[in-house]
Amino acid sequence: MTLHRSRSIAFRILTAVCILLCARILPGEAAKPQRVTRDLQTLYTFDATDGDVIRDRSGASPQLDLKIDKLSAVQWRGDALAVNSSVTIASVAPATKIIQATRRSNEVTIEAWIRPANLKQDGPARIASLSVDTGQRNFTLGQNGNHYEVRLRTSSTSTNGIPAVATPDNTATQALTHVVYTRDAAGNVVVYTDARPKVSTKIAGQFSNWDNGYRLALANELTGDRPWLGELHLVAIYNRALTSREIEQNFHSGPAASAKPATDSGKRLFEEQIAGLLATQCLECHDTLTHKSGLDLSRKQTALAGGENGAAIVPGKPADSLLWQFVESNEMPRNRTALPDSQKKLLREWIESGASWSLDVIDPVVYQYADHASENWIRRLTVPEYIETVRGTVGVDIEKEAHELLPADLRADGFRNTAYNLGIDLKHVESYARLARIIVERMDVLKFVGQFSKDQTLNTDATTRKIVADMGKWILRGPLDDREVTNYSGIATSVASAGGSFEEGMRYLLEAMLQSPRFIYRMEDQRGSGVVSVSGFELASRLSYIIWGGPPDADLLKVAESGDLNDLSKTEVQVQRMLKDPRAVRQSQRFISEWLNLGRLANMQPDQKRFPGWSNELASDMQNETLEFFKQVVWEEQRPLPQLLNAQFTYATPRLAKHYGLKPAGDGLERYDLSGVQSRGGLLTQGSVLTIGGDDASMVTRGLFVLHELLRGVVKDPPPDVNTTPPATRTGLTQRGIAASRIADSNCGGCHARFEPLAFGLEKFDGTGVFHEQDEHGNKLREDGEILIPGTGKPVAYQTSAELMNLLAESDRVKESITWKVAQFAVGRPLGAADVPVLKQIHQQAQKNGGTWTSTLTAIVMSDLVQTTRIRD
Amino acid sequence: MASQTISRRTLLKSVSGATIGLPLLEEMLAHRAQAAPVKPVPVRAFNIFFGLGIPAPLQQEGFDGVLEPLKPLSRKLLIMRQVDQLRCDKKGMNAHYDGAAGAFTAEAPEGEARSGGPSIDQVIRQAHYPKGLPTGIVPSLVAGTFFRRSRVCRYVHSYGMDGTVAGTMQERPRHLFDRVFGTVALASDDRDVRTQRLRRSVLDSVIEDYRFYTGDNSPLGAASKARVAEHLERVRELELRAFALKDSQRNGPALPPRSHIPHDGPADPGGQGIDITLDDLTTEWRLMADLYALSIQMDRVRFGSLTFLAAGERIRLKGDYEYAGRKIWQFDDAGQQNATGDKGCSHEWWHKFNEKQKNEALRAHAHMKMRELAYFLQKLDGPESQEANGKTVLENSLITISTESGDGRHNDVKRELSGVFHAITGANGRFKTGQIMDVGAEGLDVYNTMLAGMGATKRLGPDKRDFKSVDSIRS
Repeated sequence: MTLHRSRSIAFRILTAVCILLCARILPGEAAKPQRVTRDLQTLYTFDATDGDVIRDRSGASPQLDLKIDKLSAVQWRGDALAVNSSVTIASVAPATKIIQATRRSNEVTIEAWIRPANLKQDGPARIASLSVDTGQRNFTLGQNGNHYEVRLRTSSTSTNGIPAVATPDNTATQALTHVVYTRDAAGNVVVYTDARPKVSTKIAGQFSNWDNGYRLALANELTGDRPWLGELHLVAIYNRALTSREIEQNFHSGPAASAKPATDSGKRLFEEQIAGLLATQCLECHDTLTHKSGLDLSRKQTALAGGENGAAIVPGKPADSLLWQFVESNEMPRNRTALPDSQKKLLREWIESGASWSLDVIDPVVYQYADHASENWIRRLTVPEYIETVRGTVGVDIEKEAHELLPADLRADGFRNTAYNLGIDLKHVESYARLARIIVERMDVLKFVGQFSKDQTLNTDATTRKIVADMGKWILRGPLDDREVTNYSGIATSVASAGGSFEEGMRYLLEAMLQSPRFIYRMEDQRGSGVVSVSGFELASRLSYIIWGGPPDADLLKVAESGDLNDLSKTEVQVQRMLKDPRAVRQSQRFISEWLNLGRLANMQPDQKRFPGWSNELASDMQNETLEFFKQVVWEEQRPLPQLLNAQFTYATPRLAKHYGLKPAGDGLERYDLSGVQSRGGLLTQGSVLTIGGDDASMVTRGLFVLHELLRGVVKDPPPDVNTTPPATRTGLTQRGIAASRIADSNCGGCHARFEPLAFGLEKFDGTGVFHEQDEHGNKLREDGEILIPGTGKPVAYQTSAELMNLLAESDRVKESITWKVAQFAVGRPLGAADVPVLKQIHQQAQKNGGTWTSTLTAIVMSDLVQTTRIRD
Repeated sequence: MASQTISRRTLLKSVSGATIGLPLLEEMLAHRAQAAPVKPVPVRAFNIFFGLGIPAPLQQEGFDGVLEPLKPLSRKLLIMRQVDQLRCDKKGMNAHYDGAAGAFTAEAPEGEARSGGPSIDQVIRQAHYPKGLPTGIVPSLVAGTFFRRSRVCRYVHSYGMDGTVAGTMQERPRHLFDRVFGTVALASDDRDVRTQRLRRSVLDSVIEDYRFYTGDNSPLGAASKARVAEHLERVRELELRAFALKDSQRNGPALPPRSHIPHDGPADPGGQGIDITLDDLTTEWRLMADLYALSIQMDRVRFGSLTFLAAGERIRLKGDYEYAGRKIWQFDDAGQQNATGDKGCSHEWWHKFNEKQKNEALRAHAHMKMRELAYFLQKLDGPESQEANGKTVLENSLITISTESGDGRHNDVKRELSGVFHAITGANGRFKTGQIMDVGAEGLDVYNTMLAGMGATKRLGPDKRDFKSVDSIRS
């Protein structure tokens, strides 16, 4: 599992370069490339020197060790296990993880470095077998004289895996040989020896009939009567068909190479437990800014340096560590509930084990909620996704009716597509049924079905089943299995038996499919454990819903079916194609709309006496300003995303221009150059954002918006014994003055200093975004302030609003926050500690490619965040 | 109840003047038949939430203070003071939100729309109906009248075992009506037997497909499977509404009048609050309360929550408030605070609470909330609510009333989340009533004691935590 986690785009690129460089170098001649670890299920390296257990070194849990039943039949040679006579080497329990993962992907790779003892053994002699006896198997890699043979059970082969695939004669020799069998989801089979393809063929069908109870055996059948003799150097099984390039990589890695070492347990303990514990229990008082008693526990260097009272953490010595002493005695956290025993135990264990510290800085926002990265909620289509899906699948515009009938999706954790909150109620189900009827009524059903079948008879089972299968594959975004075909074919049968026409049968069939789980939800296989790659069709849906907010098109489904989405370079070609589609623009606008909650503008009701110029039309103009500005920055000019904060132009209607104090131009939404307008430029100076502070232009609300949305900062609740209702402004007292008194207050300032100065630069904008030099009482307004980036201890001063915008746009923290926001919207769940390593890689990759929307989205969809599923063990 | 005759079409008349006809349903007919077996009293649990809370010092005044409207029901309630919800504090989160998410769950939130654990009603539901509720009963009814919508946990107060909302919020009386009493027309021509049969075939296939994803061979993980199971349950309900219940609901209650107050987005203009009159507020609420109570009386609902104003509610209320023939207060939040927007809202009275002062406006708001809650509770305690054991629905059910804070000021977690007002009903003799009790216990222990009393074995909170039973509340 940890091996999978370590996979990165950078690593893949590096690997590809290495392979190209090493392509013609034989094993042992140069630095060996790392073996492929993605989708590795089990790995045996035979480098032990004794014992009867062969350890699974894949890192994919649960470990599947093998037991040698007769040690006298084998000989450990340090780099290999010599099998000299018949022996059973097998897992004690069924190889469930292999079976589940492989059934899920419908793909497999069986790899072995072996040296056959002779070229006469047959049966075939079992090199590796997932089976129960000589007639029943999921797969077997064997040797038959001078060639290799592989039997694989699918829904199109027998339970014995017949017909088998055999390599040509003389492909088996007594030399050390790298033998690899791959079979992809489309049924393409290739067998390689020493990275050269020896046979290519097709084995159709699914792995759905694999037996869950079979054990994995090496060098024999489980019944003990198909022995294979020779040397075992390495055996690996993947639940994916490795590409020829990857096979070459493993070949060059050689028989002795092992996968990357498992993550150090201390590092794991720190990242998964201790960092969160320190963040939630200690950093409130001991971060870089507050560092009470001179102790900053947010960074390794400062934490190990200790504070005024001495060493907080002495690696290996809890008793000498003040941190442990205070926690154990319940003196810390001060004025808070004592740590439960389980957390104390972890803390002690961590210090005892050497206090491994692998993060640059502990970021409290990451630990705000329990880590939901392993929670896999299927995602119900949001209302916009449903509309896009209907449009993309059957060409019907159902927008009006869908908005009328379906309950609105509620915003949770900043977005409306948060999977855990996409619940279901009777109203949904009823609406899906009604909408399905409306959709089908609007369709030219015969023309639509004609794309899949020229035959228009309803009473032939085979014909109907084929229509169901072909049409279903398109509507449900992937192939149907027999159960589904049978189930939906039943509708056609019912219509036929009621004397209905072909068209009527298809209407009811379409209605059913439009309500089916695979249409309403984004179904994925969530079986297995650890980090597993998603299948081609699942990935196709992930890509299309992330990039377009709608279903895969025919091209993408075709690529998924061909198995090419296993190849990252081919996937990226699709991604770039998709990013050029207008649907990608619409989806990006959904992002900005949800992130900034632009829908809020339509409901605003500022006090009419104070803001007589406010109208619903003006609110709508503000929304359109932000959407058009975003489109221009992101798509037309392809600028880095942080420039959304300081780009010197905007779009306004004459009404909005007047509101902003700009000279109106044109009749509609026009572009305004702001390079000569000091006060405006960027999202934060647009009415859509400025209005979040309400009538009083609350500095608290505006400051918290910048802190939470752009800086990913965390502040605690308001402190004790203070009236949180601020006084009203008056002559001599501005909003800044009120804020300054809060900041100066010893009870409030600790937190308010972190966010209110962020809003000082917006002081001249009133609650509806109008710019003033003086407030309503004649007080002169200012725009200078300072910004404190979370994790740093020193605020940076700014003199003008424009300077604040530039500081934000140039801040690494802000850049990273934008990447996080886009990533959260993409995956539809809050991000947590387990996501941090991959988010770092995404961000680096996105920045390397310009930090634009397209580079960010590309980095996200090409990363493990999208390419894999993390399944809780 | 067996000897009690209920007229075929009882009329419930709300103060708003809206009339709701009590439908003729099989359940009612069964009550009338003298020979029919006595129906056992079902297990029910509801969470009733009101926003902004009652400061602990005011709770001490008992029925002489803001709790006065609950006095007529005092024999049937256990009012609990000194219930602490300190563990619900989540650093960095809004205090209103923390307290609201902790009401009925005793845990801190785990997201903007997710509580830290299930609510008590859902644990009881799971314990007594692990395989689902009897046919025709809405699994959980979540409803309310509220105007603060920034985070779901502010206004939804029933959470499933995974901490996600137990049902879609019904915030319009008509929507609640549809959810409970509505029928479904899957086809305009569904009176045609052939069409009906074919449409059933469609539904059968859909059900079969959903069923697969909840079964042993499902490729889904636990969370996803539970969601599909929920969908499957709703499809079955749809089937029932579309085909089976149609005839029985022909004489159902009349559609309630259309709501005139703002809902959805317009109900919460960016946290700035809305202007609303007392009359508009109570008319809407009482219609909701009537419908919710009717749903319980008709045994269409056994679990769920009802919200009267959300956590951190922001309304600028206007109107004369009278109680028992005397004028209590003239609401004019904005005028009395000389402020607009959020600063002119009733919410500010809580921020300004000072026990050394009169706090008249706050008292009036809290008193009014108690009056409105009492209105709902009384609906479940009248002759229409008599059950087979001679007690009323109110007496037989576990109704838990709570709120977001023990003090309006977000100044000190220890004060804000200590002494959070709670009141419960007797749940058919399981808990004491007729008292105001200073419980002096953590909310988690109080709730777990309630769960134990209701026969649920699951406990809220961390698995390894020692459960301190609050035996004083059990009868």
